[in-house]
Amino acid sequence: MKFIIAIAIFGTMAANAQTVPAEKDSVQTLEEVEVVGTAKKKIETDLKMGVTVDEYLSSSTDISFIKRGSFAWEPLLHNMSSERASVTIDGMHIFGACTDKMDPVTSYVESNNLSGIAIKSGQTGSLHGATIAGNIDLNRKNTPFGLEKKWGASYQSGFEFNNNQWFNLGNISYSGKRLAADASVSYRKAGNYSDGNNDEVKHSQFSKFNTSLGMAYKTGERSSVRADAIFDVAKNVGFPALPMDLWLSRAIITSVSYRQLFEGKLAKNWETKLYFNAIEHYMDDTTRPENLVHMDMPGWSTTYGLLSKTSLQQGRFTSEIQLNAYENLSIAEMHMYPQDRSKKTMFAYSWPEVTTRFAGVSANGSWEISEKSRLNFGGAVALHYNRSKYAEFNRIFHPEAAAEKTRFLPNLHLGYLLETGDFQFSIGSGYGHRAPSVSEGYGYYIYNSFDRYDYIGNPNLKNEISYEINAGAGFKNNKASIEAKVNYFYIKNYIVGKILNAGSPMNYQSVGVKGYTSLPHATLFNLSLNASYQVLSNLHWEAALTYARGRDANDGNLPFIRPLSYQTTLHFKVDQFGLQTSFNGDATQRDYSPFYGEDQTPAYAIWNVSADYTFAMGDCVTVVQVGAENLFDQYYSTYADWGNIPRMGRNIFTSLKFNF
Amino acid sequence: MALCCTAVSCTIDKADYEAEAGNSETDRYEFEEATTLHTQGYNISIEVPNGEFRKGYNEIRVKIEDSKGKNANASTVTSLPIMSRYADGSNLSCPHQYHLTHNDDGYFEGYAVFTEESEKGDWQIYIGFTVNGVSYQTNGSITVNEQTNKNLNMTSFTGNDGEAYTIALIAPRKPEVAENDIVAGIYKRNHPTGEPETFPDSSHFSYSRVNGYTLQLDPRMPEPSMGNHSSPNNRDLTQQSDSLYHGVVNYTMTGNWTLNFILLDQSGKIVKGTKVPSDFTPGVEGVKSELFIDILF
Ligand SMILES: [Cu+2]
Repeated sequence: MKFIIAIAIFGTMAANAQTVPAEKDSVQTLEEVEVVGTAKKKIETDLKMGVTVDEYLSSSTDISFIKRGSFAWEPLLHNMSSERASVTIDGMHIFGACTDKMDPVTSYVESNNLSGIAIKSGQTGSLHGATIAGNIDLNRKNTPFGLEKKWGASYQSGFEFNNNQWFNLGNISYSGKRLAADASVSYRKAGNYSDGNNDEVKHSQFSKFNTSLGMAYKTGERSSVRADAIFDVAKNVGFPALPMDLWLSRAIITSVSYRQLFEGKLAKNWETKLYFNAIEHYMDDTTRPENLVHMDMPGWSTTYGLLSKTSLQQGRFTSEIQLNAYENLSIAEMHMYPQDRSKKTMFAYSWPEVTTRFAGVSANGSWEISEKSRLNFGGAVALHYNRSKYAEFNRIFHPEAAAEKTRFLPNLHLGYLLETGDFQFSIGSGYGHRAPSVSEGYGYYIYNSFDRYDYIGNPNLKNEISYEINAGAGFKNNKASIEAKVNYFYIKNYIVGKILNAGSPMNYQSVGVKGYTSLPHATLFNLSLNASYQVLSNLHWEAALTYARGRDANDGNLPFIRPLSYQTTLHFKVDQFGLQTSFNGDATQRDYSPFYGEDQTPAYAIWNVSADYTFAMGDCVTVVQVGAENLFDQYYSTYADWGNIPRMGRNIFTSLKFNF
Repeated sequence: MALCCTAVSCTIDKADYEAEAGNSETDRYEFEEATTLHTQGYNISIEVPNGEFRKGYNEIRVKIEDSKGKNANASTVTSLPIMSRYADGSNLSCPHQYHLTHNDDGYFEGYAVFTEESEKGDWQIYIGFTVNGVSYQTNGSITVNEQTNKNLNMTSFTGNDGEAYTIALIAPRKPEVAENDIVAGIYKRNHPTGEPETFPDSSHFSYSRVNGYTLQLDPRMPEPSMGNHSSPNNRDLTQQSDSLYHGVVNYTMTGNWTLNFILLDQSGKIVKGTKVPSDFTPGVEGVKSELFIDILF
């Protein structure tokens, strides 16, 4: 209900905002621009069309995941944890409300309200705000005005046998002369999954409802307003790797934007967006009677923001300038109940009402030196401000800590791209700062079930500073392609948890207290190789290989660095019939880090197959798909499975999709 | 945008931190009249915080007026609380300031650390004063109530040196999940010299502040699920210029805490108290020192 009210408010705001006069003699209209801009990318993998956002992201060689169950995986970009990457939805900043990272931003969208996901590596991702690892921008569906086909709709349903997952995804879009709209509804519900030994993994169920609505109204020949909203509810989500589950997580993500195109001027367009999102997150341990103490751990995260951007073009120069501003309030509470319930509950804030304000200007530019070569450059300057309302919590471990802290965050990058014939080469470098996250700066006794320590934030942490170089080389013709990419990060003041010799654990499962501290530096090296080959006109082969190495200042290994990994896929397509098979795995985790709580994860390899059949019934294109993941029911867990929980065993999936 | 915010209300309400810290109950701290005594045309008004004597440390203010309600310009005002036990009729006192201090507002100030509630016996307060060279004596019954603020708890014990000690918490009255300045009074019963004269002989009910001792502090949460949880950066209590003992206690969360003490004399010898284990023992109730005070907030 509340969601509907919010939509209604946006509706009226959008209706009142039509002020800009239209110019009749324009050649460049909104339609043309948007049709070109909407590259049709489908959120599906080679193997599976009914994927979750997480499964889709995992098909990128830049991304790996920490998994705490079968839901809401935490994406790692270039083997760096979520604090080091910025994850945005159309440039909007959103921050999870869970101290235990049960709710990465990617858990609040659904594959059927996205049109694509843009991953920018390292400092090239600083357009949306300061980052070290890069930016993952989730792009919402955005139907352009004036399409020939006014109405579009799709419906997809599927069942996965391993965990009895049943999903239904529905979409509808409208493209009129003056009005365009996208709406989506989805519901997924899954039971516990079973591992490769056919043992049920308890507390791995989930259910998720997601709906979205976007409406754009053309206020003039070259201007439009748009209102968007996403409403997401996850309920009864189990986290087998954590001592707690999720009772309810709810998000509302809204924005209104105004867009104006310009003709024949330096500035090509200008878009300004106001946004608001609110997340509430309530964990539940009543499902775990074995726990010694009952706790309530609610969390809230609310963000207001402004994003304003313009594209410029002058001769061989193109550039984008963007203003980002947001304010976030993060609150997390911890209520512990004594065994004698008549006694007073014990209370503390795990996030003592921490406000973050961010304001920055960033720019990306490109200079076409010649037909073959291009120089890309960019930078950002930003102010980052934190305030802890109950700073006395932070002063228990850091008696001199101030309640407020302002940081200056500069980011810079420069890259050169050369294309000669079928070959492409690139080289680049970057420099950038990031501020500590709310947990790193102000967290209080946040229990980490991986290394079993309670973590204490440090408000005095220095900015993490990244020096980055990257290079790439590729070859591509109409039959084959091969590409190699490497990057190397030297990160100063690398933030990690270090055992404190003060205090004692608060959570009964933990073995000690760690405080966030800065290592003098850490280094990270990432390599990825991608290749594809058109074997026959109807047989296509793809393969990828990644390797990474992370080291701290003492040459020790960093945790959660993906071992050598590979994936390879074959597609076969005859008429309406398609057959895919893929094989993927990780080598033995050679460079694991016992110091940070890791043990060695053995190698594994997984075989997957799927088949699909496409046919038309009148206006309706129908696809049916059947497949199996982990065909040989291999028992395995990956290097980043929290607490070594086993992954899913053989999973037969079916899916049916109608496109109208 | 603001409208949107109000449209999205939370499923579960956020905690009221003030209430969680129990602040509402203990917020008030104002001197009010607890009792009045009358003798030969003089009215003696005794004020304590919130108008009630409570077990533990009580600040006391005495005002003496003549029959016209004017300040009587009294001098050498003394105060002596004595309880007669219902059980055996024996008389006992408690740490107190016998000679009250005159302050600028016309009050005479002191303190008393009541070690028993009125439930156990009849408390009488004996006030003596001098006006124009004439001494007056009077006494009256007072009620000592239970201490409702557990942060002002006290303990009485016999030290390894055979002396009778009392430790009373004076601050923080309103602790926070924070670094708190902790203040305690440490008192010792004086040995009477000679036979008692007329009752009440103040020398037979005399206490003094203990000087130059150290009160070592180890705060822990006794609740079994808290596994003997403690806090960092605490500081032992040492005597400061106000002759009270000051230190620092950190409370990492609200709830029950035990302040485990070891009292050391001037030479560092243990007067009372034992070292408590520091290991984290989930599921086991925390072991307490032989000298401790429980608090709750
Ligand atoms: Cu959570």
